[in-house]
Amino acid sequence: MKKDFLAIGLIVLIIAVLINGTHIQSVDEYYLTHIDDITTETDTVFVSIRCDTILENYEDLSSELQSKEFVPTDGVILAKTEYVLRPGDTVFDILDRSVRYNKIHMEYQGANANSFGSIYIKGINHLYEFSCGPLSGWTYKVNGVFPNYGCSKYTLKDGDVIEWVYTCDLGRDVGNRWMGEKAS
Amino acid sequence: MKIFSSYHPVVLLCYFLSVTVMVMFTAHPVLLAEALLGGICFCTVLERGNQFFRNLAFYVPLFLMIAVVNPLFSHNGMTPLFFLNGNPVTLEAILYGIDIAVMLVAVMYWCKCYNIIMTSDKFIYLFGKAVPKISLILSMALRFIPLFKIQMKKVSVAGKAMGLYSSKSRVDKVRSGMRVFSVMVTWSLENAVETSDAMKARGYGLKGRSHFSLFRFTARDAVLLSLTILLTAIVLTGTGLGSTAFLFYPKITHMSFTPFSVVVYVAFGVLCFLPFLIEVKENMKWKYFVSKI
Repeated sequence: MKKDFLAIGLIVLIIAVLINGTHIQSVDEYYLTHIDDITTETDTVFVSIRCDTILENYEDLSSELQSKEFVPTDGVILAKTEYVLRPGDTVFDILDRSVRYNKIHMEYQGANANSFGSIYIKGINHLYEFSCGPLSGWTYKVNGVFPNYGCSKYTLKDGDVIEWVYTCDLGRDVGNRWMGEKAS
Repeated sequence: MKIFSSYHPVVLLCYFLSVTVMVMFTAHPVLLAEALLGGICFCTVLERGNQFFRNLAFYVPLFLMIAVVNPLFSHNGMTPLFFLNGNPVTLEAILYGIDIAVMLVAVMYWCKCYNIIMTSDKFIYLFGKAVPKISLILSMALRFIPLFKIQMKKVSVAGKAMGLYSSKSRVDKVRSGMRVFSVMVTWSLENAVETSDAMKARGYGLKGRSHFSLFRFTARDAVLLSLTILLTAIVLTGTGLGSTAFLFYPKITHMSFTPFSVVVYVAFGVLCFLPFLIEVKENMKWKYFVSKI
């Protein structure tokens, strides 16, 4: 019987750890995001989310996503907007805040779940990785440069311009050259 | 002896293949629900009465587990219900989880029925001549789980008779179960080798070796086979025209109730309930004749 109690205790402990690690929010709570007011002294960054490449490869897109609801006709999911930069904010923090504020769907993979130790954006506005061909997915650039590492590792500074772009060709169609250089 | 198992093996194989393959490749809730209900009804007729509840004790937790796990890992969908660690838990993902759970449980029920109906002699009859090695391996693989269960019971009973595993503690029970399991792994490997050796010693697969079987293709086999092919053709035509397609992400498709799609649903429903209806009909006939005596 002693062993039974030990086993029950262990199971309770595991459940407690799991519950402790989960954070449940209602829909309203999730979208209720505080965006700081922009004043002359605050640091700010710009963020935009675009999927222009899908419009060029529309026939590759999964049939259930072929609607204006998911792919806007101009390819702009979030137009260039200015947000306040809080100290230590990474690219992911800004994206998270902006999609919550604008009620755009977003799914990410946590930093512990992959070998890169960084958050990976799986889908924005129901457009997922591999939704538009086998080489498609979300990628980002800061001031026009592809940093080539995860979005939760890039700490921003005042005036940075973040662009989230959807690629259908592993970055080549949005101007990411590092893959091509490595291959040649 | 159940009447459905007295049909010709070719007919039975065609029937089970068409049902299970169609269930595995569709996500349409109506078709899956029909397959699940048909499978449960057929299985209940084939097995003894109390086995129904024992099955439920296994399949209900499995069903719930699959249904709950999907929304935890899949966050696609238009209607978020709440947010878990910053990722949405959506209605679509929950419904898709339930749909997949129905599919898995339905396939498992049908495989259970297949195992009861298609005994290994029928399987060997069908494929023993054409592909002797593969058919032997397949028939051994298919009877592996039932045989494993029987032998497992024997081993644990023998252990109990020797006074092992008598502790009341749950942990000890689990540990003794693991011990029986490890015995079983060794036994099953040995048994597989012995079986194939025994078959070889009997000249299985040699040229000129004749087979004896009692299976005869009669008129009612032809009726069942043509009915199976007809219904399968209707459903496959429906699949070709897209009326069995159903998508959950990012938005749930509206279920189509056009006359043709209703015909497809009914055809698949008839296909799934066919063995159950045959058994019921035979039972009623039997009771009727008994009452006359």
